Amino acid sequence: MGRSDTLIFGCGPMGQEVAEQLIGRKLPVYMYSSDLDRVAEVLAKGFDAAVLDYTDDDKLRQAGIGEWVKVIFCLFPEEAKNVFLTLSARALDPDLKIICVSESPQSGQKLFAAGASKVIDPYEISGRKVHELIARPMIVDMLEHTVFGKHLDIAEIEIPLDSCLSGNPLSALDLGRRYNVVLMGVVDVEMSDSLIFSTSGVDHKLDAGDMLVVIGPTVEITRLKGDLEEDRTDQLLGG
Amino acid sequence: MDNTHRLIQSSYKLKDSVRYRRAKNFFYDLLENPKARIRPYFDVFMILLVVSSVWVLIYDVRHDMGLFDDLFEWVAVTIFIIEYLLRFWIYNDSHKVILSHYERAEFINQPFRAWPALREVVAKKWEYMTQPLAIIDLLAIIPTYRPLRFLRIFLLFRLFKLFRYTRSISEFVKVLNEKRIELFTLFIFMAFITFTAATALFFFETDVADGKGVGSFFESIYWALVTMSTVGYGDITPHTTEGRVVTIILIVAGLGVISFFTSIIVSAFGEKMHEIRAQRVFSEVERKHIDLIVCGYGRVGQVVADQLALDQRQFVLVDPLESNVRLAKQKGYLAALGDAADSALLESLGIATQAKRLLCLTGDDVVNVYITLSARQMNLEIEIISRANHRENVTKLRLAGADHTVAPYEIVGLIAAEYVGQPVAFEAIYGMLTGQNDVGIEAVRVRSGSVLDGRCMADVGFRQRKLIPFGVVREGGCPVDSSSGTYEIEGRCFHFNPTPDFELQAGDLVVIFGHEYSVVHFRDCLERGTL
Repeated sequence: MGRSDTLIFGCGPMGQEVAEQLIGRKLPVYMYSSDLDRVAEVLAKGFDAAVLDYTDDDKLRQAGIGEWVKVIFCLFPEEAKNVFLTLSARALDPDLKIICVSESPQSGQKLFAAGASKVIDPYEISGRKVHELIARPMIVDMLEHTVFGKHLDIAEIEIPLDSCLSGNPLSALDLGRRYNVVLMGVVDVEMSDSLIFSTSGVDHKLDAGDMLVVIGPTVEITRLKGDLEEDRTDQLLGG
Repeated sequence: MDNTHRLIQSSYKLKDSVRYRRAKNFFYDLLENPKARIRPYFDVFMILLVVSSVWVLIYDVRHDMGLFDDLFEWVAVTIFIIEYLLRFWIYNDSHKVILSHYERAEFINQPFRAWPALREVVAKKWEYMTQPLAIIDLLAIIPTYRPLRFLRIFLLFRLFKLFRYTRSISEFVKVLNEKRIELFTLFIFMAFITFTAATALFFFETDVADGKGVGSFFESIYWALVTMSTVGYGDITPHTTEGRVVTIILIVAGLGVISFFTSIIVSAFGEKMHEIRAQRVFSEVERKHIDLIVCGYGRVGQVVADQLALDQRQFVLVDPLESNVRLAKQKGYLAALGDAADSALLESLGIATQAKRLLCLTGDDVVNVYITLSARQMNLEIEIISRANHRENVTKLRLAGADHTVAPYEIVGLIAAEYVGQPVAFEAIYGMLTGQNDVGIEAVRVRSGSVLDGRCMADVGFRQRKLIPFGVVREGGCPVDSSSGTYEIEGRCFHFNPTPDFELQAGDLVVIFGHEYSVVHFRDCLERGTL
């Protein structure tokens, strides 16, 4: 049994898709299912997988929930299984990130009540995307090729301790000119998990631990990260 | 021989005459062409004429209208005659019949004989005259025979065609036609009962005293029908015990006949009802020029439909499940019950004519591929967006002719993966991109001569307006020596994060992030030409 941070429960097409995406981002995953055939199928495709009875808390603990596991995905096709697994996992580890899929808004609420950190409704999102394709085809095309394609990345960059940026207002940053990136906003992790947009009108004062959210080419983001780590005032804030 | 020659010559003359053709086309548009703009006006006029002439006829029964009545009658009949002759004329081209005969004769080197050709001309015209609608027309213009004049109301049927009522009428006739075996059986049964009961009554009641008896066999048939249908006028009643026994039996049998008849009609309509409803949907689609077809009202279809309704866009849904169609109708959407894989259904929804977009959103990739393929064959121009439930089917859908594919599982994979890495940023931005937040992404077109045309990015003042410029999409390919930050997107060039000295041109699309109020205000400023 591997000691991977991320577990996927459910080896159906959805589980395989998520596993593929995560592995593509160099995040090792381990897949579990109560269905032997499914496990055999994903093993044959080259994923790491094992059979696990998710109704047994001891088995879950052995799999690492409450120990080293940080994220689990509940991707069973059956709603009830996902709710049950979410409840069990939440009871074992209050800090665990639990990500579920839901089929309908009602089941989404149930999953949140059971303790899920994030519920993804694939149909809702697909429906909205189809609508966007009709309403604003140009923008969708542009985003498909850039942000969701290979050209541009979205990144969260943490401001390190004692950075020269601390104490500066958000509006004083002119990252767009110094780096070829667009600064979308900042997340003040101490206050809340939501994004403060740089256009919101609230001039947030930056401090260490805040996350800058930027979109840009990978090279530029790496350069920005590097400069932040080395705390190069001349580069970040200019003369 | 000379006459034959003259016939051919005049036929060629007609064929070459532009004026003749134009006149014929004009009258075709006026009378027959379902797509002609002028036709509805003509039909409305004719309906009014018919209704008023019938009204005059009714009014005339009790009132004396004097000269007006006759005058109106003559005008109406003259118009009907002209219409009839015009329809007779445009039904086919007689000169073409003659010429085709002539050319065939020339081709096989035989002498041309006029009689067979003329016979065919007459046969064609006769074919027109014997059409039911043409017969009704003819009946409507026989004004001399007064009682028959009332038949002019039949002309209404033909004119109803324009308002697509004949679809319902023909549907009604079809329903009856489908049940003709049952109806025939019923008719035989009814005739048998009527005849038996009438004979029995005639037999028992003829010689009743006081002259109250049945006078003739016709009277007893009349009595049998009146009794059996439960109408029971009571003008003829049985007086003998035998006669009353016959009546009792007839009444019981009559109840059976009536309920049998009702059940035949009801069940026939029950079976046909969804087809009739579908016809309604089709005519609505045609009338409202709905150009967006959504196949599948499952979870994705529901989201799309709700979004489209928010945009006040017109669309028609197709789903094979009755429960889904009912749900859609409850929400007030136009929905047809049926399998979209059936090309006849798509055809009825105007896929080959007026449809501009087709969404295949069913949960079955096989169905999606099939719909995509058949739709693409029927219409090369139509934009097809298809749902791909499995990744490997994306290429198949593309091959089948889909312009865009949307894969729910892939989106989940993408979101899940990003969420593990950088939860807040991705969620916020994804929400923004899909329009779930107040802050959104918008595109503003630079119009020729507008305040943006020729202006540098720095001078637009995005920051003061609380907008973030994300990039500019420009028509045409990217310059070869361009620096980093330009990306080619399907023949257009996307300039990411343009520099302050980037000069905007007419036709550019400026992509901005911002709160919806800011965007609206910005657009408003552009409209008014003040920055």
